[in-house]
Amino acid sequence: MLLTPPPRPSGRPTRRSVLRGAAGTLLGAAALPALSGCGYLNTEVTADDLPPVTPEIDGDLVYFNWADYVDPTVLSGFCSEYKVSITQANYDSMESMAAKIAAGNKYDIIFPSAKWTQRMAQAGQLRRIDRSRMVNAPAIFKGYPYFADPWYDADSGHSIPFSMYKTGIAWRKDKLGPALGGSWSDLWDRRAAGYTYLLDDEDEVLGVGALRLGYDVNTGDQHRLARITDLLATVRPLLRGFSSDDYTNILDGNAWIQHMWSGDMAAVLSQADDASIYGFETCREGTPINSDCYAIPRDAEHPGTALLFIDYMLRPENVRKNIAYIGYPMPVPGTEEDYRKLVAPFPDCVVTLDDLEHGYHFGNTTAAGNQARDAAWTQVEAG
Amino acid sequence: MKDSPRARRGTRLWSVLLLPGTIWMTVFFLGALGILLLLSFGTTDDLGNPHFGHTLGNFAALLNPIYMQVILRSLLYAALTSVICLAIAYPVAYAIALHGGRFKNALIAAVVIPFFANYLVRMYGWVTLLSDGGPVLSLLHHLGVPQTFKLLSTPYAVIGGLVYGFVVFMVLPVYAALERLDVSLIEAGRDLGGGPLTTFWRVTLPATRQGATAGLLLVFLPAMGDFVSAQLLGGPQQLMIGSLIQDKFFGGQDWPLGSALTMLLMLVLLACTSVYLRQATREAREATR
Repeated sequence: MLLTPPPRPSGRPTRRSVLRGAAGTLLGAAALPALSGCGYLNTEVTADDLPPVTPEIDGDLVYFNWADYVDPTVLSGFCSEYKVSITQANYDSMESMAAKIAAGNKYDIIFPSAKWTQRMAQAGQLRRIDRSRMVNAPAIFKGYPYFADPWYDADSGHSIPFSMYKTGIAWRKDKLGPALGGSWSDLWDRRAAGYTYLLDDEDEVLGVGALRLGYDVNTGDQHRLARITDLLATVRPLLRGFSSDDYTNILDGNAWIQHMWSGDMAAVLSQADDASIYGFETCREGTPINSDCYAIPRDAEHPGTALLFIDYMLRPENVRKNIAYIGYPMPVPGTEEDYRKLVAPFPDCVVTLDDLEHGYHFGNTTAAGNQARDAAWTQVEAG
Repeated sequence: MKDSPRARRGTRLWSVLLLPGTIWMTVFFLGALGILLLLSFGTTDDLGNPHFGHTLGNFAALLNPIYMQVILRSLLYAALTSVICLAIAYPVAYAIALHGGRFKNALIAAVVIPFFANYLVRMYGWVTLLSDGGPVLSLLHHLGVPQTFKLLSTPYAVIGGLVYGFVVFMVLPVYAALERLDVSLIEAGRDLGGGPLTTFWRVTLPATRQGATAGLLLVFLPAMGDFVSAQLLGGPQQLMIGSLIQDKFFGGQDWPLGSALTMLLMLVLLACTSVYLRQATREAREATR
């Protein structure tokens, strides 16, 4: 018997019409030639045209930072002294911080790394900071002339340095002995096969290869990157993982060798049952040096309060509290001894003027260079 | 034959009720998908900012065999996760639905409540549990397992994490299917001489196949795109495609390549889902014939 399908009620969408509608929507979106070449994020307006910020209270502070990256008592001290409140928000990566700002969220104070300070300042996303209007900033630039005109921000025109750190190797003395070789080749130590972690960070990992081969740590050259990935392929069989939870890996006993940020050694000291079983070394081929900054985004609604906050944070008594709380050294003259005492078992954690001048800095390269580096990193990570 | 005015009014009402959902999906799903599609043909500038464009370079970059290798690994892990979830969830759902009595709701709540806690937090808990110095390995070593045996950074840990993370998506649809099962069918099977296993195999299982199919899909899809378990519990050999995509957006700052990778993943998932659904539909049709 031949069955004819029942007539469809009028108005109900058929499968074909739904598919046609969906295809139309997608084609309509794809046929937006006006978008071609446009920035996905708004980077058109520049903050450099805005007048200089005056350090005075112009509203409550909207604060955007890594979690736990400032002593809470310092924050509450600012609130009670200036009779303002602080609205706190946290980010978990520089990329998400930048994306939130570019999406139009308004924050008064942020803490970008040097590389991101350069990127955001060049994109006109940071307000100009006139340090002569501040009380505590001039001492920094006098004591640390490196920061007066750093590579990432000409004349420190958009930023004030906040913290400094370097990258090295942490190891378990009870497993591998009291000293390693002081070289990046220590990451290839076969005694720690299956217990070695590299940082889950493109710049840091490619940097290890570059430093061992004597290349620029920011190289975007295909040939050099191929040599770097070949070298790093030889460490992969020894690895337990790529992880930036560096001090957790060490403290949980999962890592005997950990590619490590110096600032996190203070956490090892404060949380370990027996800190004497851990060591930290920097490497003779070269040490990556990094710093985080204070900066005021272009769309900040209370830039005056933000600048006053930076000046308040730079008071040596507040810097001491922050050093003790987060474990990172800060370029404020007179606080160096506090940090030296804090990390006494790990003297290589101390960041000196010489380190800043002669260390290796991760910067921005060209779009083609970025792509080549990203492809190399994928090769190393997933290879 | 013309529709009556009443029928037309009814159809119009249903169309209006469809509107909020349609708008929602158009803006937040198709709109986002459209942006992703456009961005996959885009470029980045020297500062890493993404720009719309019309290059095929991002798709060409995906020809690197590494991406296919990671996608195949992710498919394998997601498929194993789905099957293990089914093996774990079916007996649990069966026991609750057919033998839970008045405690059924309480038992289902007991299954669901642990999942109120955030997945990421639970995975961090797993890291501590499975660590070399953690309680699980300490116990195993105490029981005589060799000191060299490790759990963290192994496929077992990653798949275990995925199973733990998504098993509830299997329990609920299977439970719902078993709840709807007419118990007299099982009794009839037994009356007609079927043993417990035969009855289960020929009556219960076919009747709950749709629930299991839904569960397999509900587990497979998020497991395939997951990056937390591989990131926290796995090592370099257990990297999954979700981690690579996340990396393109938040590490390598190459949003266009990340978008192209997402489109590729969606195509692979679409292909897998269509094949699977077609197969399941054919089996269901044969079962009811």
